Amino acid sequence: DPTVGSSEDCSPCPCPSGSSCAVVPKTRDVVCTNCPTGTTGKRCELCDDGYYGDPFGNEGPVRPCKQCHCSDNIDPNAVGNCNRLTGECLKCIYNTDGFYCDKCKDGFYGNALNPIPSEKCNACNCSPYGSVDQQRNCNQVTGLCECLTHVMGRDCSQCEPGYYNILSGQGCQRCDCNPIGSVN
Amino acid sequence: TRPDVIPLPPGTHLLYAQSGKIDHIPVEGSSLKKNKAKTLLHVPDKVVIGIAYDCVDKMVYWTDIAGHTISRASIQGGEPTTIIEIDLKSPEGIAVDHLGRNIFWTDSGLDRIEVAKMDGDQRRVLFTDDLVNPRAIVVDPVNGNLYWTDWNRDAPKIETSYMDGTNRRILVKDDLGLPNGLTYDPYSALLCWADAGTQRLECMNPNRTGRRRVIDSIRYPFGITSYGRNLYYTDWRRESIIAVDRNIGRESDEHQPSKRSRLYGITTAYSRCPPGQNHCAVN
Repeated sequence: DPTVGSSEDCSPCPCPSGSSCAVVPKTRDVVCTNCPTGTTGKRCELCDDGYYGDPFGNEGPVRPCKQCHCSDNIDPNAVGNCNRLTGECLKCIYNTDGFYCDKCKDGFYGNALNPIPSEKCNACNCSPYGSVDQQRNCNQVTGLCECLTHVMGRDCSQCEPGYYNILSGQGCQRCDCNPIGSVN
Repeated sequence: TRPDVIPLPPGTHLLYAQSGKIDHIPVEGSSLKKNKAKTLLHVPDKVVIGIAYDCVDKMVYWTDIAGHTISRASIQGGEPTTIIEIDLKSPEGIAVDHLGRNIFWTDSGLDRIEVAKMDGDQRRVLFTDDLVNPRAIVVDPVNGNLYWTDWNRDAPKIETSYMDGTNRRILVKDDLGLPNGLTYDPYSALLCWADAGTQRLECMNPNRTGRRRVIDSIRYPFGITSYGRNLYYTDWRRESIIAVDRNIGRESDEHQPSKRSRLYGITTAYSRCPPGQNHCAVN
């Protein structure tokens, strides 16, 4: 407060790298007004949108603000792509999921880190007739669905040789063809 | 209505969001009073995205994606009040219907559009279907229309409906990229948008066919608002507010705040409400 007229009227801004500051008139709070790139908050102690870290180490070790790290599976036009403190990715795209958008989301399989978006994660498309409990999830990497008895194929859509009636939803039944009259 | 027939209210400001704060800058005629730009509100732990202004009670409303809230505060000063704090994931655009006393917002996390009274009461979901990346939303309360953008990279669009959610339809879907910003100017009846994909500002009269390119080869627009003959947009790359003369399609002014970071929503705080009533407000 320079109106008092003493030599201690003006104090240096409590902000990093010489950032300017301002006093909020109502609350008399001091707020840094020009925090370094990627930082924000009253004392530049938080990371800006699109960045994560803990620049003052308020919640543990000091971690400077870095850009969201989401395996190239976020859209730069989105806001709030990662948690500002933990870096957890919040807006994974291309059917990916996980802390760093590094896995396929439920119901999808493949390699989330494949550089070609269309080849990252494909839908499991497990057959509702041939898979256990009509599941829609499959192995995240191989894409194998869990099949009923005597059902085969990645998506559990076929009967094993010598078996039929997948539409029963109970697994496939033995053909029981007469060995004398059948070709095989 | 022609903009030169109804005089624009003097003493009008632009309000714009820059992460943890909301600033205001006076506009006089078509120029920005840059030396009078001031911070209206510090909310250092928030990330403010959308802002809207209620010309009746002189309040600013904003969405915050860090705390997942919608809040408001008087522009004459005063503590912010949170009006919605549950069932929000990534609230982005917000619009104020100053006649019917409602707020509308988009949520790009829950992929829906909602409405509530200005204190957050009587909340209702308007749309949940066919929304991928809903962002900007504006109202034309005099005619009862709602407009919003969806920057879905596979099928970007600008949509409209009545304010009660009926009569939803797509207004624009061709030659769109990332329609981040949208503004409706009650004086000229023009709906204008800012597209970070095509890097253009465009306008149309929603009741007519045809659209007009205002300016192209801009950098990375996010928010947009109209006042008089100008459009004002925020730009993520230039980290500034840029004035564009809508009639001649040329940049006419720029304001770069001293804090260097992305700018988000921008809105016009008219010193007097634009003229016009609607039936609900009269009744």
